[in-house]
Amino acid sequence: MSDRNSVLERLSRRDAQRLEKLQKAHKAREEVDASNENEDFFSGSFKIKSEYVEDLLMQVPTLELHTLPSHFDNIKREINELQKYVVTSSFFLKEFNMRKYLGMVQNLQSKCYELEERYVPRKKFGFSKKKIPKSHTQKQGSLDDHDGAGKNDSNKWDEKLFGFDSQENKVLLLENDELYQRDVALRNLKNCTIGLKGVMGTLHLTNLENCIVLSGPVTSSVFMEKCTNCKVVAACQQLRMHTSTNCDIYLHVTSKGIVEDCSEICTAPYNLYYDDLEKHFNMSALDRGSNNWDNLDDFNWLAPDIPSPNWSILDDSQRIASWDEYWSKTPS
Amino acid sequence: MGFLTILKKLRQKEKEMRILMLGLDNAGKTTILKRFNGEPIDTISPTLGFNIKTLEHRGYKLNIWDVGGQKSLRSYWKNYFESTDGVVWVVDSADARRLWDCARELHSLLREERLAGATLLVLANKSDLPGALTSQEIREALDLDSIKTHHWRIVRCSAVTGENLLEGMDWMLDDIASRIFTLD
Ligand SMILES: Nc1nc2c(ncn2[C@@H]2O[C@H](COP(=O)(O)OP(=O)(O)O)[C@@H](O)[C@H]2O)c(=O)[nH]1
Ligand SMILES: [Mg+2]
Repeated sequence: MSDRNSVLERLSRRDAQRLEKLQKAHKAREEVDASNENEDFFSGSFKIKSEYVEDLLMQVPTLELHTLPSHFDNIKREINELQKYVVTSSFFLKEFNMRKYLGMVQNLQSKCYELEERYVPRKKFGFSKKKIPKSHTQKQGSLDDHDGAGKNDSNKWDEKLFGFDSQENKVLLLENDELYQRDVALRNLKNCTIGLKGVMGTLHLTNLENCIVLSGPVTSSVFMEKCTNCKVVAACQQLRMHTSTNCDIYLHVTSKGIVEDCSEICTAPYNLYYDDLEKHFNMSALDRGSNNWDNLDDFNWLAPDIPSPNWSILDDSQRIASWDEYWSKTPS
Repeated sequence: MGFLTILKKLRQKEKEMRILMLGLDNAGKTTILKRFNGEPIDTISPTLGFNIKTLEHRGYKLNIWDVGGQKSLRSYWKNYFESTDGVVWVVDSADARRLWDCARELHSLLREERLAGATLLVLANKSDLPGALTSQEIREALDLDSIKTHHWRIVRCSAVTGENLLEGMDWMLDDIASRIFTLD
């Protein structure tokens, strides 16, 4: 693999690519000199191309079933091309516009998947799988199926972990100074209540089952993975939730929360109280005035106009109004 | 952007570098990119899709791609590899828990043919946090010394304080420049 010759060969191929690119750049410059290419030109041809895709999408309901798979293939190819067109124009598109155009491409993409789901029987053609929100039975993500190196949870850095691991039916508490700006990890816990009264750097919740987590402010992110049946009360800059189901999050998030491969997640506004909370908020520099608890992004759900089925806002009547009595008992 | 600016930008294309920022999610890629570009860093959301920034630094035009870490997009990473001059691999030095995943992802990335020859800068980020590992520890955990196929260096930095960010980037730019701009 790291054989010297093949490396050299790859390097020289890379240089050849670079030369070719330079030549292309020169050529592009000449063309621009001649044709006054600019953003208007781009937006014009983008419009033509995207309208073409729209047309193809509109034809879907009128086509015969057996022609649909190749029709969808065709649409996807066109959409890919369009995306490439935007991306390769990045050197003269402003970032804002770039996002706008990519958003439009994404729109077309989700329309395409929706139509495909509606018109193409799924058992036969499974392309749309990716778009279907996944539920509890997850297969391991790409991280785990690389080179069969096997899972190795007990690596030598474990001793550096700070938090709680492998406990059941416990009430656990960490406070103040010991938490300050630490990377705190709670993992492999079952039926536990965990109180964290302090300011943390990052909070990791991994593989928790039927737990209650009552947490003070976290300066950067709360990172959740493989949690089920939990209630988490947390304040942070970012929330990142993966592969979790049936959790209620009482959330203060100053930028944004995301979910990926999650289902049955509910959110409510952060409503924790303990004596030093106010002080801790000040120390964390989190903005109390900005909370996006009700606006999560779902990485598996990119259709902008249709709300994700994987998370919702917890109904008022279902919310726990005060956590005071929860600090000292295990979850029922 | 006016026509002249576009022309000017094109003229500088020869001094353009394409740089990919990769690493596990939450490592601080987007924060580093924004800090580098002088933007505010306290309102950064987890990256959906990717960010692309074009910025000028020391006369080079840097085209920096910050690719979001979501699983559903990982298979697309490959699409961004072509003609990459430098890879910035960002590590959360405070997150000992995921170092093993991090090492595995890095080494599988380096086996990518399309990244052959690219310079590798490992940023051991979040050095401002108590409990952050030293760069020596991260160097060991990621088994960096086994890397023979790429020029690499590890730099301990913080996107929050800005410490060492420029030093790291400058090393990478010099390394890329000495490799590619002497060829013409
Ligand atoms: N303390 C500290 N936090 C950081 C640093 N860099 C990033 N963060 C925080 O880490 C979290 C994830 O950062 P982000 O840039 O979104 O990570 P990405 O997924 O790699 O793009 C955010 O809450 C950042 O504020 C750093 O150098 N020090
Ligand atoms: Mg990001």
